[in-house]
Amino acid sequence: MLPGYPYSIVNFLHYLFFYLLFSLPLTLSYRNTKVINFAHSNFITYGMYTAVFLHGLLGNTSLLAAAAAAFLVGGSMALLNNIAVFRPLERRGASPSMIMIASMGLWIMYNYLLYMLADVAHFFSRKNFVSYSKIAYSDVPELSIAGFTLSQSFVASMLAALGLVAALYLFLEKTRLGRAMRAVSDNPVLAEVSGIPRDTIVNLTWLIAGGVAAVGGAVWTCFSGTITPQSGDAMILQVFTVSFIGGLVSLLRTGLGALAISFIENVGIAALNTYLGVPTSFRPFLTFATLLTILIASPPLGAAGGLPYRFRRRRG
Amino acid sequence: MIDVVGFLVSWLTLLGIYSILALTLNFESGVSGVTNFGKVLFYGVGAYTAAALTVYLVLILNGFDVTKTPPYSVEGIVALGQLAGQNPALNLALFALSLVLAFLAAGLLGYLLSYPILRVGPAFVGFTLLSSGELMRIFLQHFEPVGASKGLMSIPGPFAWVPEPRARELAFLGVVLALLALTYVVLDRLVNSPLGRTLRAVREDEVAALCLGKHVPRLKATVLFIGSGFTGVAGALLAYYLTAVNPGMFVPAVTFNVWAMIILGGMGNLRGSLVGAALLTLFDRLLTFLTPQLGITVISPDYVRWFSVGLLIVALLLLRPQGLLPEEPVRTPALEELEVALRGGGSG
Repeated sequence: MLPGYPYSIVNFLHYLFFYLLFSLPLTLSYRNTKVINFAHSNFITYGMYTAVFLHGLLGNTSLLAAAAAAFLVGGSMALLNNIAVFRPLERRGASPSMIMIASMGLWIMYNYLLYMLADVAHFFSRKNFVSYSKIAYSDVPELSIAGFTLSQSFVASMLAALGLVAALYLFLEKTRLGRAMRAVSDNPVLAEVSGIPRDTIVNLTWLIAGGVAAVGGAVWTCFSGTITPQSGDAMILQVFTVSFIGGLVSLLRTGLGALAISFIENVGIAALNTYLGVPTSFRPFLTFATLLTILIASPPLGAAGGLPYRFRRRRG
Repeated sequence: MIDVVGFLVSWLTLLGIYSILALTLNFESGVSGVTNFGKVLFYGVGAYTAAALTVYLVLILNGFDVTKTPPYSVEGIVALGQLAGQNPALNLALFALSLVLAFLAAGLLGYLLSYPILRVGPAFVGFTLLSSGELMRIFLQHFEPVGASKGLMSIPGPFAWVPEPRARELAFLGVVLALLALTYVVLDRLVNSPLGRTLRAVREDEVAALCLGKHVPRLKATVLFIGSGFTGVAGALLAYYLTAVNPGMFVPAVTFNVWAMIILGGMGNLRGSLVGAALLTLFDRLLTFLTPQLGITVISPDYVRWFSVGLLIVALLLLRPQGLLPEEPVRTPALEELEVALRGGGSG
């Protein structure tokens, strides 16, 4: 029997769904646009706050409506980033590091803009938006299977994550547009020469990436205890580590990464807690150790990688 | 009545500390191409090394049992306040020792962290260092011997025995500016040395540098050791200046503030970093000065301040990526001779 059963297993699946929702768009956006986007956590947080503002200011209790609104907010943010910042920088021939630093600047901007919005909303409604409690939605059922009650957030995140995986598979494998997207990610120059409108594909990628991450954020509002403007940033270590396991290019390996990190963070820490007495607040350190292990043992090469140094003694 | 001297002293002290950060970050990122998003990690390690060393040693050397009256307890803080001004030699010796140890602790950490990030691109380097900084903060929040989330307070400064507050501040300012000058001279010599030229080569093209026989891993480790070491010294100065440290001071926003300084000043130009640090700390101080005058506002001025840091970074990268002072060619004896010859040729 696994330690912490059954909660560790339920949480393992639960976080797996969320990591899929957060990390797949990150991998997708990097492999198509070659921009490492530190503002990715903003999409998640803004998705959460779209749901929070709809609930707190307009009294919305439909998760479907909140998710749809979040998709629009996250997607348009990502599109705006690309049109106003990333594309002009790329046109000018700025290095990938410079574009990364610009995304970091955007991250701070969005972060504190959200604090300001929460202040303004507080001024009008007298509700505390800087620390908002979990939202109970009316349109998501609780399921009972074999004596287990699956919570609202479990059902919602499962539907969203499985829907995302299925939709991505069908889109990338079966449709013309999806194949064009894969062509751009494999070789942008060759794709452009073959008549694929690269700019349109990149814009579409940003719309999907920002939108899906924001939907994940909206679903998170019926799971997390409290929602703060830092909630998305608090997950950035896990989300990026999951994508790094996929080398920022492979969607399949990103999925495996979500599986691995979710397992380590839930079952792994439960085991350490039971047998060695490690406190559960140690979770991020476990993820960080995984990140360092990956960077040392099998550094992601290719587009996002550096040089394949070998630390071996020279043979005389 | 506006306290002009007080304003200038506090501004110049902050300017000195932030200039050290900006200079080292420019050395690491602007000159050598190591995208260090974890500046705050080394800053925090330096600050906590100095703070913990000083409070523990002051209590132990004065015959306190730190297992019974730890420095973060109320009795410990009171005792530290009483002991602070009694022994000038002890204060100064501890200050010197802390600076050396902060340099070594932060430098060694930088050296060790260079290992996992050698073989990956800038995205991974930036992210790994960024999350290391966050993990340090989480660790400090839960680590009881350094006061957990409350942090350490009442750290005896090197000049705590000077009775006059203004003289004490001025003496500390002198030390900060002396250390800034030392940092500037060391980094300036390094940047304009053959090592500096090699580092620029690594920044521009790692493969080419490797093919020319440059040991890129060792160069990056050296850069991180030197840069992080001086960052640790800046952290120690901050701990003594504020006489308190807590985990809330070392959030990622601090790193981005320093990034805004070097982008504003110009990547790869050390004097630009000084200009950037001066402008941003002046803005900071003026805002702190003005905030009480505004009264209660709907939006906290703090948020506006951080928002403008982000906006500044993005706007500069879009509109003036070279910053206020663009990068200059490396000063070599050959270049200087050439300039002299050209000038001579022009006049004669």
